[in-house]
Amino acid sequence: MTCIDVVNLTKEYGAARAVDELTFSVLPGRVTGFLGPNGAGKSTTMRLVLGLDRPTSGTATIGGRAYAALDDPQREVGALLDAHAAMGSRTGRDHLRILAAAGRIPRRRVDEVLEQTGIASAAGRRIRTYSLGMRQRLGIAAALLGDPRVLILDEPSNGLDPEGIIWIRELLLGLAREGRAVLVSSHLMGETASFADHLVVLGRGRLLADTGTADFIESWTTRRVRLRTTEGERLRKALAAKGFIAVQGDDGRWTVEGARVDDIGPLAAYEGIPILELAGDEPSLEQAYLALTAGEAEYTATQEA
Amino acid sequence: MSIGSVVRSELLKIGSVRSLCIALAAVFAATVGFSLLMSGTFTAQDMAKPDFDPLRSSFYGLNFGQVGAICFGAIAVAGEYKNGAIRVSLAAVPRRGLFYTGKIAVIGVLSLAMGMVTSVTCFVAGQILMDDRGVGIGDPGALRAVVGCGVYLALITLFSAGLGMVLRSAPAVMGILIPFLMMMSFIIGDIEDNGGVADFLPDRAGQQILLQDPTGSLGPWAGLGVLALWSGAALWAGAVVLRRRDA
Repeated sequence: MTCIDVVNLTKEYGAARAVDELTFSVLPGRVTGFLGPNGAGKSTTMRLVLGLDRPTSGTATIGGRAYAALDDPQREVGALLDAHAAMGSRTGRDHLRILAAAGRIPRRRVDEVLEQTGIASAAGRRIRTYSLGMRQRLGIAAALLGDPRVLILDEPSNGLDPEGIIWIRELLLGLAREGRAVLVSSHLMGETASFADHLVVLGRGRLLADTGTADFIESWTTRRVRLRTTEGERLRKALAAKGFIAVQGDDGRWTVEGARVDDIGPLAAYEGIPILELAGDEPSLEQAYLALTAGEAEYTATQEA
Repeated sequence: MSIGSVVRSELLKIGSVRSLCIALAAVFAATVGFSLLMSGTFTAQDMAKPDFDPLRSSFYGLNFGQVGAICFGAIAVAGEYKNGAIRVSLAAVPRRGLFYTGKIAVIGVLSLAMGMVTSVTCFVAGQILMDDRGVGIGDPGALRAVVGCGVYLALITLFSAGLGMVLRSAPAVMGILIPFLMMMSFIIGDIEDNGGVADFLPDRAGQQILLQDPTGSLGPWAGLGVLALWSGAALWAGAVVLRRRDA
């Protein structure tokens, strides 16, 4: 099983640290979402893993070896860094044929990935005539060309239409199910939550979180329940006895922070309080992410003050 | 990954970009076209002058054809840096020495082949046009000039390719190299007249080999050697930059 191991990775551009003592692993069999605001160091980290940029210190390895030391890099790692990184005057098919030739990958794979990514009908057109979504698909086709065990994709859903976004989600989940290690950066939280089992979150080049998606949401948000009842005051007292604080909003609805539906339904039934409506607010990845980065912003602000 | 697969990939790269094919074809078209225009319009009076060199005259278009060679070398290397396509290439072939060797080998072989075809065409057609003032391939300096013209075009292409790797921009290479090769030797040459620094400029040194009777301070092969040093220096600088700098 091949994984990506980043250990104490640091990259400085002049005085600025783009990546700061970063350590994490991308394990096979799951999709790892790579999150962080613009400029957090996600793309730099990916370039360092691919040996395109040289680290100031630390290491990034694929299955224990530096990328440049791999015998068949395209069969080990497939990468999409930038959908625009292709010569516009070439056709999509030629772009892939060139990569296939370099990696001694059979010609039929070119047609296979063109089919798989849905751009076979445009394969004979020059890349400069492609829409962003088509370039993105071509970049994904190039990443899949060598049938690699590790995938590194920088914002792959950027520019895709809704159908394309569903397609990429299914593709990523399928690749992980086949036992591949998949690292996907994004700043679309809803998107990332739909495919990532695990998250690596960066802020200013540093690691802010490296945890399962569900755990991440759990630890950075509070659950809450919204309800309507005819006997609000009685319910409030009953909940207070259990340690929950119920607050009534302007619209008459009650909100109970930190509670789950399972806590309240049985209690109301036991007390004989009629419940007209009962709904749990599922916290989103976005809320968790914003809670984390807000804390981070405060932390850095106090540190710099 | 092997040198063979890198070479195949680099050949496909050149064959799949129209501007590169046009630049390579322009080397032939411009050199042969301008040479024949010159050779075909000499009057008997021109050819009767004592300093008339029928050999040099049949390669007259080389100064124009080398612009095609500069463009070819620059675009073949620096074209990949536009839009960051180089990152895709280097992710496919992460061993930079192997990548560079394969790329330069393909550029060198293609430009040498095109240079030789160009050179032979110029010589044969030019000498026919010059009729009884023309020389045969067996005459002194003729074979040397034919081979030299082909090698000259290849070396200029490699000079441009090496510089392309250093500057990472095809327009920058053309902007520097075209004036440098087309005008420098006129400017410095006019100041210094003959001998001195101007003889070591790449174009002037390299073109010694085209003369029937080379008179400069450098001999024909030494002159071509000086051009080879210029190209070698550019290629070496390109290799250092590729190895050291982030892609």
